[in-house]
Amino acid sequence: MAVSGIPFLEGRYSPTFDLWPIETKEFNRIHTFYDNLREGKFTTTKCRQCGRESYPPRVICPECYSDELEWIELPRKGKVEAVVEKLGGVPICFEPPLIDAWIDLGEESPVRHVLSRVINCPPESLKEDDKVQLVVFDVPSHPIEIRQETIMAERVFFAFEPVK
Amino acid sequence: MAGRNACIVGGGMCKWGVREASYIDMAQEAAKECLDDIPGLKPGYIDGLLFASAFVGRRSVQINTAPVVAERLGLNPTSICARVDVLCASGSTAILLAKGLVESGMSDVVMVVGSEKLYTPERWQVQYDEIAAIDHDWDSPQGIGPPPIWFALTAKEHMKYYGTKREQFGTASIINYDYGFSNPNGHFQRQLTMDDVLNATEIAAPLNLYDCCPLSDGSAAVIIASEERAKELSDRPPVYILGGAQVSLHSVTANWPGEHLGEWPHLRLAAEKAYKRAKIGPEDVDVAQVHDCFSISEVIELEELGFCQKGEGGPFVESGQTKIRGSIPTNTDGGLISCGHPFGATGIRQGIEILKQLQGRANNQVSDAATGLTHNLSGANAEHTVVIYGSEPGK
Repeated sequence: MAVSGIPFLEGRYSPTFDLWPIETKEFNRIHTFYDNLREGKFTTTKCRQCGRESYPPRVICPECYSDELEWIELPRKGKVEAVVEKLGGVPICFEPPLIDAWIDLGEESPVRHVLSRVINCPPESLKEDDKVQLVVFDVPSHPIEIRQETIMAERVFFAFEPVK
Repeated sequence: MAGRNACIVGGGMCKWGVREASYIDMAQEAAKECLDDIPGLKPGYIDGLLFASAFVGRRSVQINTAPVVAERLGLNPTSICARVDVLCASGSTAILLAKGLVESGMSDVVMVVGSEKLYTPERWQVQYDEIAAIDHDWDSPQGIGPPPIWFALTAKEHMKYYGTKREQFGTASIINYDYGFSNPNGHFQRQLTMDDVLNATEIAAPLNLYDCCPLSDGSAAVIIASEERAKELSDRPPVYILGGAQVSLHSVTANWPGEHLGEWPHLRLAAEKAYKRAKIGPEDVDVAQVHDCFSISEVIELEELGFCQKGEGGPFVESGQTKIRGSIPTNTDGGLISCGHPFGATGIRQGIEILKQLQGRANNQVSDAATGLTHNLSGANAEHTVVIYGSEPGK
C-alpha cells in the first residue's frame, strides 16, 4: 500500500539525505571538476585576471570577483601529516575501517592540505609521513529531470590511497 | 555609537537529554523557566523573538520556525521575529544580534530561545544528518560529518606540536563532569575518574566516549533588554553584554587558517576583537563558558582566548586552573560535555550560567565574579563566536 506523505518509502530520491554532491551540469557550474576527476585529474580554478588559485573551484574569483577563470591541476600525491582510524561505530554509509588523514600536498600546491579518506588501506597500517595518491571511484547515481524526461545522473568522487 | 546598553535580564532552561518532547514543547518549558526567573515580565512586554536552532528544519521539518515559536509562546513580536542558524553558535549569535537590536533602539525586550529535538524516532538520523552540518560537497563525503574524526586529528596535532598528554585533556572532562554533577538540568549527573576516561569506549583515538559531548534534546531561553527596561523588570543587579565577535576565515577544511590543526587563529582573532569591544583583556575575565564539544577543544580554546600561553593548555587544565578556585573557572555548569549539546540552545545555556555567576546565584559560584565570557565554535571548526558580559556597563 502506498504511504502518502512519506515519498522516499516509495523509492523516491531524497536529496536532503544524499551524502554526495549533485554533480551534473544541469545542477551546478563546476561540473568540470567531476569531469576532470573521471580522467584521474584533481583540479581547481585559477583567476585569469589576478592569478589567484582557489580551492574548491568557484564561479568567481574570491580575490577580485572576476568571472574569467581557468582550470588548473592540483598535485595527485601527498604525504600524511596526521591520521585517524575509526574501526567501530563508523557513520552510516561508510564501512569500517574509516581512515581519514590530513594530507600535505606540498609547498608548491595552491592548497597546502586536504582532509581525505584513505581507502584501499589495511587497518592500522597508515602512518605519519606515508605517501598517498588520489583515487577516483563511482558513487551512487541519482535521478534528475531534464525537460520531460528523468535520467540517472552518474557520479564519481575522490579519496586517497597508499602509494604502493 | 548608540547610547543604549543591552542587558541580559533573566533566563531558564528545560531538562536536557533524550527527551520525550518535541522542540516546540521544550521551547515552551524553557520560556516558562525564563519568565519565572523575571517576575515582573509578562509575555506581552516582549517585542522581539530570535529563535536559535540549527536542525529544526531537518529534524523537526519546520522552516520559518520563528512564527511557530512566537505563537506557541504567546508572543506577538513587533520589532523582530526570526530564526538564527550558526549551528553550535546559533544561541550566542542570537544573543549578539539581540544586543545590536536593543542598542540600536529597534527592539526593547527580546526573547532569545534556542531549541533542538535531535533524537527523532530513529537514532541514526541525527548522526547521518550531520552530513549537512559541515561543508557538504567537499568534507561530508570524506566521513567527517560526525566531528570526532576531525577533533581526533586536532588532538594528534596538538600532542605533536606542543607535547600535550592524553591525561591532560582527559582532565577537562573530569572537571566538567564534576561541575555538571550538581546541575539537575544537564544531560548527565555523574562524576568520572581518570580510569573512566582512559578506559571508556574509543570513539576516534585518542578521543574516548567521555572526551566527547553528547548530542542532546533541549531548550534554553533568555531575555535581552535595554538597561532601562532591565531595571524595570528585575530587582537583580543588571548584567551587561559588553562586546562580542564572530569570525569565519574558511569553510572547507582544506582552507584551514592555522599553521597546523592545533593552532586556531580564527578564535584568536574573535577573542581579540571581543576583548577590544568590551575594553577588557583576558586577565579581567572571572568565569568562562567555552565550547568543550571535545575535551581537547577546551584545552586549545583556553590558549587562544588568552587564559594561558599558546601550547600550555594541557598543563594548565591538569593543574586545576579551570576549577572553581583556579585562575579561570571554566564551564561551571558542566559545559557541553556534561550538560549536553542541543546546538541552538548551547550558547543560551552559557549566557544563563554567566548571568547567574555575575548575579552571585550560580550553582557552582565563583566568588565576586564580575566579568564573564562565552565561546562557541561551529561545525568542523569553521567559525568562532565570543560574547563578553559584565556587571558594570561598558567603559
